[in-house]
Amino acid sequence: MYYRIRHYVKSFSLWELLKGLNLTGHYLFAEKFTVRYPEEKAPQSPRFRGQHALRRYPDGEERCIACKLCEAVCPALAITIESGVREDGSRRTTRYDIDLVKCIFCGFCQEACPVDAIVESPIYEYFGNQRDDLLMTKERLLAVGETWQKKIDGNLAQDSKYR
Amino acid sequence: MSDQQQLVTIEIDGIPLQAERGAPLIDVADAAGITIPRFCYHKKLSVAANCRMCLVEVERVPKPLPACSTPVNDGMRVHTRSPMVLAAQKAVMEFLLINHPLDCPICDQGGECELQDVSMAFGGDVSRFRERKRVVRNKNLGPLVATDMTRCIHCTRCVRFGEEIAGERELGLIGRGENAEIGTFIEKTLTSELSGNIIDLCPVGALTSKPFRYLARTWEIQQFPGVAPHDAVGSNIYIHVKGDRVMRVVPRENEAVNEVWISDRDRFSYQGLYSEDRLQAPMIKQEGRWQSVDWETALIAAAAGLQHVVQNDGPDAIGALASPSATLEEFYLLQKVARGLGCHNVDHRLLAQDFRDQAHAPLFPWLGQSLAELGKADVILLVGSNCRKEQPLINHRIRQAVRRGARIFVLNPIDYPFNYPLTKRLIANPKEMITHLAGIAKALNPKDPSAEAIGIPPNASPKEVEREIAEALRTGARCVILLGDIATAHPQAAHLRTLSAYIADHSESTLGTLTMGTNGAGAWIAGALPHRKAAGQNLETPGLDADTMIAQGRKGYVLLGVEPEIDCANSHLAAEAMINAEFVVSLTAYRTRPMEDYADILLPIALFAENTGTFVNAAGSWQSFASAVTPPGETRPAWKILRVLANLLDLNGFDYMDATQIRDELQVLVQNADSPEKKDRWRPEKLGEKVAEKTNDKQQLTRIGDMPIHAVDPLVRRAASLQKTPDAGEGVIRINSKLAGLLGIWEGESASAVQDGIEKTLPVVIDERVPDQCAWLPAGIPSSMGLGLRFGSIEISR
Amino acid sequence: MPEIHNFTLNFGPQHPAAHGVLRLVLELDGEVIVRADPHIGLLHRATEKLAENKPYNQSIGYMDRLDYVSMMCNEHAYVSAIERLLGIEVPIRAQYIRVMFDEITRILNHLMWIGAHALDIGAMSMFLYAFREREDLMDVYEAVSGTRMHATYYRPGGVYRDLPDSMPQYDASRWRKGAKLKQLNRAREGTLLDFVEDFTARFPGCVDEYETLLTDNRIWKQRTVDIGIVTPERALQLGFSGPMLRGSGIAWDLRKKQPYAVYDKMDFDIPVGATGDSYDRYLVRIEEFRQSNRIIKQCIDWLRANPGPVILENNKIASPKRQQMKGEMEGLIHHFKLATEGYCIPEGEVYAAVEAPKGEFGIYMISDGANKPYRLKIRAPGFAHLAAMDEMVRGHMLADVVAIIGTQDIVFGEVDR
Repeated sequence: MYYRIRHYVKSFSLWELLKGLNLTGHYLFAEKFTVRYPEEKAPQSPRFRGQHALRRYPDGEERCIACKLCEAVCPALAITIESGVREDGSRRTTRYDIDLVKCIFCGFCQEACPVDAIVESPIYEYFGNQRDDLLMTKERLLAVGETWQKKIDGNLAQDSKYR
Repeated sequence: MSDQQQLVTIEIDGIPLQAERGAPLIDVADAAGITIPRFCYHKKLSVAANCRMCLVEVERVPKPLPACSTPVNDGMRVHTRSPMVLAAQKAVMEFLLINHPLDCPICDQGGECELQDVSMAFGGDVSRFRERKRVVRNKNLGPLVATDMTRCIHCTRCVRFGEEIAGERELGLIGRGENAEIGTFIEKTLTSELSGNIIDLCPVGALTSKPFRYLARTWEIQQFPGVAPHDAVGSNIYIHVKGDRVMRVVPRENEAVNEVWISDRDRFSYQGLYSEDRLQAPMIKQEGRWQSVDWETALIAAAAGLQHVVQNDGPDAIGALASPSATLEEFYLLQKVARGLGCHNVDHRLLAQDFRDQAHAPLFPWLGQSLAELGKADVILLVGSNCRKEQPLINHRIRQAVRRGARIFVLNPIDYPFNYPLTKRLIANPKEMITHLAGIAKALNPKDPSAEAIGIPPNASPKEVEREIAEALRTGARCVILLGDIATAHPQAAHLRTLSAYIADHSESTLGTLTMGTNGAGAWIAGALPHRKAAGQNLETPGLDADTMIAQGRKGYVLLGVEPEIDCANSHLAAEAMINAEFVVSLTAYRTRPMEDYADILLPIALFAENTGTFVNAAGSWQSFASAVTPPGETRPAWKILRVLANLLDLNGFDYMDATQIRDELQVLVQNADSPEKKDRWRPEKLGEKVAEKTNDKQQLTRIGDMPIHAVDPLVRRAASLQKTPDAGEGVIRINSKLAGLLGIWEGESASAVQDGIEKTLPVVIDERVPDQCAWLPAGIPSSMGLGLRFGSIEISR
Repeated sequence: MPEIHNFTLNFGPQHPAAHGVLRLVLELDGEVIVRADPHIGLLHRATEKLAENKPYNQSIGYMDRLDYVSMMCNEHAYVSAIERLLGIEVPIRAQYIRVMFDEITRILNHLMWIGAHALDIGAMSMFLYAFREREDLMDVYEAVSGTRMHATYYRPGGVYRDLPDSMPQYDASRWRKGAKLKQLNRAREGTLLDFVEDFTARFPGCVDEYETLLTDNRIWKQRTVDIGIVTPERALQLGFSGPMLRGSGIAWDLRKKQPYAVYDKMDFDIPVGATGDSYDRYLVRIEEFRQSNRIIKQCIDWLRANPGPVILENNKIASPKRQQMKGEMEGLIHHFKLATEGYCIPEGEVYAAVEAPKGEFGIYMISDGANKPYRLKIRAPGFAHLAAMDEMVRGHMLADVVAIIGTQDIVFGEVDR
């Protein structure tokens, strides 16, 4: 009898609903467990392999010497390089394209580069509205390298002892 | 003799092998497929044994021995992978790398570097060298070879190549030990026509190709076999292609043709493929303006134009001129089209002037022997040939003969430099070359009654030199008389041939002709001749030869790969004939200013790496090749163009699907033909009189207008790097000091040269190599364009 | 009486429970499965053919993408095939690292499996729990290799880099700073090993949570008990391996039967099932969570105490250190040649298999002495399991197909390869 009354009271007073809402409400106001992207970001390893960048020397000279090791080692054939003699007689690229659509982000290009020119930067927030946007040309790669120079240099320095 | 050829049994790595006594151990191992690393050893060069990489262990010898300089001996037991050898190889490699710069990433050799390969396979993997590396100053070796001397490992292959193959000691090892370096003693450009081969020889990246510098890596390159399109040898080459672009050309080994070498012209001429004036699409001149059109329009217009000329003036009003470097298939189709129209005015002998003996010619003029046989000759008489620059690899064979002890005689209008000693030289005014040959003939057989019939004057008294040459030819075991380009282009070429044939007959010598262009022999076989059809069938009524076609002028011209204003014997007349013609259709790879003036239709044709076809070399071997790259733009192979043109002209028998069908058809014709003996030579013939050139009193001088090595065809004329070499030909008038004194001209002054009323003012250089009463002014270069006959009269004045 | 036809139904390839790109053609008699015909190949990328056209090292990255939830295990099979053909000995520290990451990968895989499996048959929250722990392990992957999934970390002769001695930390933000931030970064203050150790300490508790949610859950039991029973005999005949085989009661585990790397030095147990139904396989995998955790702990202890090289010190096979490459001629040449051509492997053939989370993952490789394999054959466990789909679902209801796909732990990357 007691249980029946209790059952009726609970049913009519929507007790279980309120109990559920209480729990939900508790988490509504409780501290959030999740990372509040994009204001907050998850920690990122210095070894992170994101979008590519071409680096320059501190004096502004581009590092890449068109040795084409990255092109040769690239399993996905995502890198296209054309090289030639620059006016000052040095060996430089006349074209350096990375097709991010083909790229598998294995990091071999970074490993192969003898002058640390091509690196995989910490950038993971990039997108393209069309395929063209994901074809990284030399200018765009150098621009990424300049914008993220500090972070890239820091990461490389941090990881240099392991490589 | 018998001792040297005795076979001995040796054992390498436990494998018993038979070898000739005294053969280098490394050769025996190579033949058995046993790898021994090496840097300095090269099978075509002498043994230096200075890299020490090929050390092997021979039982009962306490120290390792270099395999390249160790002759095999009976019962030798050799180990190439024993601990002692491995340690020695590792040590040698470590020493070699001590001073090698860390250049791999920027070095063109990277990926095809012997140093890298040997280091990976035989060297250590960790360096113990902590000191500073030495640096060597770079040398400037000219526009073809780039140097990075710090990378040199002193194998001296390039030095030995210069001495032994190129015949010029251009490079040497200077200094000792730490200070040793390879260089020219004084900084200068390499002048050898074979200099590019040091690029292939260099095991490291010290000597690399300058035009190819930094352009591609080996792993990006695809390799296609090909045949070089510039000389009568038809050197076998590999065309290296990246994407769809020819990046470089390297030799393909063929012991019978080019051994392992190619000339610089064959190596670097690919640059001409990408010349800026390359024609990309068919063009038609409409009301004086050039318009690009599609193939259909262009070919219909070409067919209509030709038919128009045929209808109005008869088929004889058309003249077809082909470059002697076109393929066999192109020649065959060109003459088939022309003869289909009823016209026999087809010729490829653009530079020739004397055709009197053409009816008696062999199936095709040829070397008379294989190239290897030439290298074994005892006596060689060169008639009218700057062989070294005309045919670098034939010259190399002659040089081989010289190294075996052959005696070489030359009869030339210029005292050209040769890279081997000449026993005697006859330098004569072109007009006197006949007299000299007649003298030799007379000396051979002074009492021959039939001699006068072929133009040997009965009262000729041979000079001392002529007698000596005759004596040498008579007594020599294997004698060769070679007629060069100058002899072929000579105004009295038939006479020279007849006399040479007479001399050959009477001295039991081999008479050889250095054929014109790449495929001069092929042109004869394919019937690109006015007096013969394909496979050498004589015609009853021959058409007009090239010279007559130009001299008399035609209403319509079909040009196949020809720039008449440069490629014809008479530059001035050729240009005029073209301008005066009603209709000129030019199958050309390039669009030039003169061509824009005279042509009506330009049809772009594929060049060597883009083309499919066959070249017949001077030794008579047919060498077919396939295309390595697609032709640029709308360009098509000429055989396809001619085939479609024939279809549009409603001619029968042009249903070829590919170039091999054309070749096969011709091959059957040749096999079945009732033609002159297939590999005969010229015979002494009685010749008709040749109409002499009209001259006036002032024109007492004779021009010597030879073709510089890098001006022989439209492709090589556009190879930028070759044009920067000293061999490109200078636009100067060279006369000897005697003539200069008579004319009152000093060195460096400008003088005017007049031919056919055309005047050119050019600087004068005093050169004692030029005979009296002659002026040396090369043809085929811009500064002499528009002048008259190459070996005609010329007027020089201040 | 009208004639009754069986109903044919296309299940997938766009069905959310079809785990990727499975297309199952089901023949139904009412709601009972008469026949199930899996169609595969929609994710075929010709991995084997690709690998036959590349230098050996360049295919490591493609191995990650086979079974893309157990990345490093695939790499392990591939590199050990190469190592065996080359006849090289991997440094002991590298072997411990590999074992640790193999087990981390096993946990990753099983977490993915339990989340997806439970989600498929109605338990939504399980997925969130599983991904909470996966996140930590992904961070471990990222810290060591630079990517959260496709690591390309194992190399013939060892692993690419040693474990880092610091973990990346959260940055301060509007919501988390001071003590809160410190709390968040608590486990990240030490080395990677500290972080993993912290995880191993936490993880058994997490597994308990999962069990609270599922093990005695009556819905879960209704959906899995007696579903997809495979007898031990049939399991063997069908070529099952991994938990699918052990669920049927056969104690077969390559880590015990053919120990590779340093598994022979590890102390762990092999759980087996009794009835061979989906519930048993669930229990087996849950126990594997705990056993893997045990192995990881042992690896951490060893790795802490024993520093050393992590890759073969032979530049003919493993690229030299960057300092060597930049400063020595030998190093540069070897680096250049390895990057462009790779190394050549002596003629021979080898089959190298590892106990991947899903079962026996094997690489059969034939070398003709060149710098790329003459033939590469991948033995993917999921392929054999999927082949038994028809037998396992026959006679079950349509809804059970989802449960059986879940219990098979199918990943199409390896089936289609």
